[in-house]
Amino acid sequence: MSTAEQNRRLAWKSATTEVSANPPGKIKRIYIPDRLLGWIIPVSALLLWELLARLGMLPANWLPAPTVVGKAIYQLTVSGDLLKHAGITIARVAVGFLLGASAGTLFGGLTGYLPVARKLLDPSLQALRSVPSIAWVPLFLLWLGIQETSKIALISVGAFFPVYLNLSVAMRHVDPKLLEVGKLYRLSTFQMVRRIILPAVLPEYIVGLRSGLGLAWMFVVAAELLGASSGLGYLMVDGEMTGRASIILASVILFAIFGKVTDWSLNAAGRELLGHRAR
Amino acid sequence: MSNHMDNGFNQRGTVNIEIVRKAFSGSKGTLLALENILLTINPGEFVCIVGGSGCGKTTLLRIIAGLETQYEGAVFLDGKKLTGTGLDRGVVFQEHRLLSWLTVHDNVGFGLAGLTPEERSGDIRHYIRLVGLDKFEHEYPHQLSGGMSQRVAIARALAGRPEVLLLDEPFASLDALTRMRMQQEILRIWEAERTTVVLVTHDIEEAVYLADRVVIMSPQPGTIRKILPVHLPRPRARTDREFVRIRKSIHDELFGSDSIAQLATENR
Repeated sequence: MSTAEQNRRLAWKSATTEVSANPPGKIKRIYIPDRLLGWIIPVSALLLWELLARLGMLPANWLPAPTVVGKAIYQLTVSGDLLKHAGITIARVAVGFLLGASAGTLFGGLTGYLPVARKLLDPSLQALRSVPSIAWVPLFLLWLGIQETSKIALISVGAFFPVYLNLSVAMRHVDPKLLEVGKLYRLSTFQMVRRIILPAVLPEYIVGLRSGLGLAWMFVVAAELLGASSGLGYLMVDGEMTGRASIILASVILFAIFGKVTDWSLNAAGRELLGHRAR
Repeated sequence: MSNHMDNGFNQRGTVNIEIVRKAFSGSKGTLLALENILLTINPGEFVCIVGGSGCGKTTLLRIIAGLETQYEGAVFLDGKKLTGTGLDRGVVFQEHRLLSWLTVHDNVGFGLAGLTPEERSGDIRHYIRLVGLDKFEHEYPHQLSGGMSQRVAIARALAGRPEVLLLDEPFASLDALTRMRMQQEILRIWEAERTTVVLVTHDIEEAVYLADRVVIMSPQPGTIRKILPVHLPRPRARTDREFVRIRKSIHDELFGSDSIAQLATENR
């Protein structure tokens, strides 16, 4: 290769690197990684909101600036109110979800495994499912009082159905061809459940748990809005009564964060369980 | 592993089939799937069962496997009457039927019980090597091709050290080239393991290429039409004159020698 040739190549190389790093001419392209694309709208909206609020174009008692909401969250944290209210809400969701998901697992497993149990139980459960769950509130309040029991019952009802439905359907749809493999190896009923049925339904079961958890968060809001003296939902009612929009917005944001974090944890745990299998 | 090599000639694995009747009753009445099936398969023999769809060949295999138990008659393995499934018979289906949540290693070892973990692992590795998948031991089924999955299924069926290997159209869903390679592979495995093999297929060429004896079945009701020994030495050349002659005689047996003329008249 001649020196001239080498020089030309070098020149070409530097030219190409220059192009990719910083395109010449009038068009300056901003490179945004794909995973940041989703942030553009919320961040711009927040900035615009802050700007309009600062300029006094938004009524402060209706829509306080994001920084004001942030300050409200900060004040709730230092006063210890956040810990108290968020703590009780999380505890309600945890207990309610645990009870509802356990019952859903039990009934889902039973109806999915035994056709006779499905014929016996499924029509009634489906009928109950068609009642919008919030409609149970007055009855639960009447029966179980305004204390914790009625709230936890409502949350459990919310968590129950997705878990029940997903597990029951998934168990019914386990490939009979795989069950035949179990039969070839003379697996006992218990081994069949543990080694074939449970692993086969796990993905759908996790989906059920996740939607159950989502509904548990939804119903804790309903329960706390309708009669509570503590919890994030109560904080919202309190904010409304005292005309502090910043408290309401702070609660909304906290609900969103807790919901997202718990769903994410459940999903991560599920992925861990599922390992590397095909999706 | 040594115990595979020791009994180079395995006297076990005799299958006596004495099926009087096998019927399926459905909403449209009863369908007679099999009638008067009398067949003895010798230890270490490679038998292929050919026939068109609906001739009951799969049902016959499922009866031997113990997956169908409602029938008149009996099937004996080494003189013992079979009443259900058992580890003395390994089964490979048309679909691989691997468990998607287990690795190749764990799929092959699925049916192994009553061994120490070391023995188990050694056995599993032996069969994975036998089907040529050493490098894929820790992969999951979705990472494998169709031919590879079927190899895993064969390894799984062999891992229980069955006396009889039952294959139900095992290569039907593979492409033509993979199928031919798998046919060579199954012969190699059979020669290494010396188990009795019963393979069901609708592919006449496959039957002639593989079998010591070809059992030709005809439908409605499923019966044995003819049993044809194939005395060609292995490896067999598919274009060999004798090979082609046997293939044609099976074809004629199944469709009648004037089938082409018949087709011509039907199409007119």
